[in-house]
Amino acid sequence: MKRRTAIKVVALSTLSSIPAAGQGFRVLGVAWDAGEYRLRFFTGQENELLDKLMEMIIPADAHSPGAQEARVSLFADLMVATSGDHVKEQWRKGLRLMREEAARSSLAGALAKAAAGEKRKPSSDLERFFTALKGMTVDGYYTSAIGIHQDLQYQGNTYLASFPGCQFPKLAD
Amino acid sequence: MKLYDVCIIGSGAAGGVMAKELSEGGAKVILLEAGQEVDPSQFLSHKWPYQLPYRGLRGEKQALFYPKDIAPVRYEHCDPVGVDRIRVLGGRTLHWNAVTLRYAARDFRQGLLDGVDEDWPLSYAELEPYYDRIEQIIGVCGNDDHLEILPGGKHYLPPLPWRCSEHILGRTLKKLGIPLIDVRKALNTRPYDNRPPCHYCGHCMDGCDAAAIFTTPDCMLPKARATGNFTLRTNAIAREIRADREGQARAVSFVDRLTKKEEEVRARIFVVCCATVESARLLLNSRSPQHPAGLGNSNGVIGRYLHGHLGGGMHIYLAELEGVKPFNQDGATDHTYIPRYNQLFGKADYAGGWGIQVNFASYMFPYQAHDMAGYGPAFKERVRKMQPGFLFFGSFGKILARPDNYVTVDPNQVDEYGIPVPVVRFRFGRNDYALWRALKQSMLEIASNLKGTSFPHFGNSPGGFGSHEVGTIRMGKNPKTSALNSFCQSRDVKNLFVTDGSCFTASSEKNPTLTILALSLRAADYIKEQRRRGEL
Ligand SMILES: Cc1cc2nc3c(=O)[nH]c(=O)nc-3n(C[C@H](O)[C@H](O)[C@H](O)COP(=O)(O)OP(=O)(O)OC[C@H]3O[C@@H](n4cnc5c(N)ncnc54)[C@H](O)[C@@H]3O)c2cc1C
Ligand code: SF4
Repeated sequence: MKRRTAIKVVALSTLSSIPAAGQGFRVLGVAWDAGEYRLRFFTGQENELLDKLMEMIIPADAHSPGAQEARVSLFADLMVATSGDHVKEQWRKGLRLMREEAARSSLAGALAKAAAGEKRKPSSDLERFFTALKGMTVDGYYTSAIGIHQDLQYQGNTYLASFPGCQFPKLAD
Repeated sequence: MKLYDVCIIGSGAAGGVMAKELSEGGAKVILLEAGQEVDPSQFLSHKWPYQLPYRGLRGEKQALFYPKDIAPVRYEHCDPVGVDRIRVLGGRTLHWNAVTLRYAARDFRQGLLDGVDEDWPLSYAELEPYYDRIEQIIGVCGNDDHLEILPGGKHYLPPLPWRCSEHILGRTLKKLGIPLIDVRKALNTRPYDNRPPCHYCGHCMDGCDAAAIFTTPDCMLPKARATGNFTLRTNAIAREIRADREGQARAVSFVDRLTKKEEEVRARIFVVCCATVESARLLLNSRSPQHPAGLGNSNGVIGRYLHGHLGGGMHIYLAELEGVKPFNQDGATDHTYIPRYNQLFGKADYAGGWGIQVNFASYMFPYQAHDMAGYGPAFKERVRKMQPGFLFFGSFGKILARPDNYVTVDPNQVDEYGIPVPVVRFRFGRNDYALWRALKQSMLEIASNLKGTSFPHFGNSPGGFGSHEVGTIRMGKNPKTSALNSFCQSRDVKNLFVTDGSCFTASSEKNPTLTILALSLRAADYIKEQRRRGEL
């Protein structure tokens, strides 16, 4: 089960979730909306490729900006930079595989090939990398101001005097 | 050195009510709490993910409650379970979800009725007055639904209004013969207990900054303090309880987390409320010539019978709400509850059941984006359109209490204060697997009756414990298989009580905390009475 599910459900199914709730928190002073962010793990070249791939996964459209404007690759950099060696290795290698595959076909072709494993069990390093890449893009985009406010137009996290209940008379009893 | 009447160790649900009751009853009480006091202004509940270093994905919102110096747990020969050990004033009441369910009469008699577990040494009728009292002390919203499987009280605050998804679910369940009721939560739907009403932000599990939910610091400690009989020591980690020559508890030694100094508190009575794992750890670490296997552990039961809840979750996206203009659905997390229903459909090949909590996952994050295949413009649009239809199920199922599942301590591995760490060993049994399979199948069947897309999250095998661990210092009828009598009093050590979830004889599918509170309240009455009589 994924960690981003409500903490309690997570606690039901993974050994590591509760310790993780208390660990790994350091205030880094990262202002995600503004401010300069200096890459900690990816090289400039890697970041450029990542940025393109992430924008292909969640692109800008008429409704809202995409992963690029939400600076999701920088979020990925922070997450990977603060992860263990195994994770770092997977990302470095994954981006290399993507680059090599893109050289043989195109970036769109490489992404399509990597994504092919999604509907079955991923069976190659490239396919396994896609799982990580898409997961990170989803996490980064939908926790950004752009993802929350512009794309999903989430209306909550407020202080209400009363809760209105169902406002669609056809759906309420 | 000062001699207190009562020393309570741990300030969660159990310790809080004990401190209030005994201070109000005139006893001089000291409460030792391992954690620090966290002011609600420090809570990060309302922060947006992008205002947090890791977007909240690494537990930043709860980090204040889980400091780094909590002793590590060693899991040995273990199925995928996790035990929750908090360290903060108020314990887990600081970020609980406040679903408050009474055990049914049959939940206390599963040995007799179902042939599993042992019967509790007390009945529903004996605990009922304490359920009534505690519900009024903490303030519970909801209804008496007149269900045998989920008894109700008479003094509930108004229930929470249902969301559209809950109306849709209710209609579907009705067709299946399964009830959906107003959730019972220790949460103010109107001003109560000098605390304000809820503002429907959905952040209960990150800490309520308004005191609208029941917590020990907001509800119990002000009343204890008002008596003038109450002393609080935070950052005080109990190391061991020391016995006198007769084997009665005499003093507790503790280490001050800030000064690192060892200190001692003496009292006439000790009440251990450190929660299931830490309470067992404390007693097992309290060895003396009179109690070589740990305090109150002459029959070797302490640490055994560890269990909690198993379960799984499901994300559902209802077709009826797909594509509607986004609206604020946060509310107070769950507004409805599916009480245990499998007993309505004949006899099963396993004992026990499950309940399903509805909609306690955040509405902010589109979980379906992780669950759905695809990428690109169509994927993005689909995620967006599905989001208003979000409906969440989180189930809690019964696990049997078995002696070979246990917490122990390892004297060779100590935490940074030199205290032996807890070791957990747990395996699911045959009944647990059978119940988990039935639960899974039933939730899939419910989902298949709803119009929409569902994403089950069950994993490949059961997991536990949903922060509901209980059972390691159990009460019981049989002195060979229990450590406490029905008043949470140690059989070996008359002036030692344990009133947190470790005192449970066996579990039902219901969340444990209302029963912990009721048992602690009952034990407090007993202590008052015994003191009056000069017995303690
Ligand atoms: C996210 C979440 C949601 C939950 N939702 C629900 C719900 O909806 N309904 C429900 O019934 N339950 C729920 N629970 C569970 C509920 O919080 C616990 O059952 C309840 O708080 C247990 O109370 P307790 O007093 O036994 O222990 P705790 O609340 O865990 O308190 C134990 C206290 O003891 C202290 N302590 C431990 N060791 C020592 C020591 N050596 N010396 C001094 N102090 C010590 C700890 O610091 C802590 O303050 C939830 C829990 C979580 C985490
Ligand atoms: S939903 Fe209500 S009870 Fe929960 S945190 Fe918000 S104000 Fe507090």
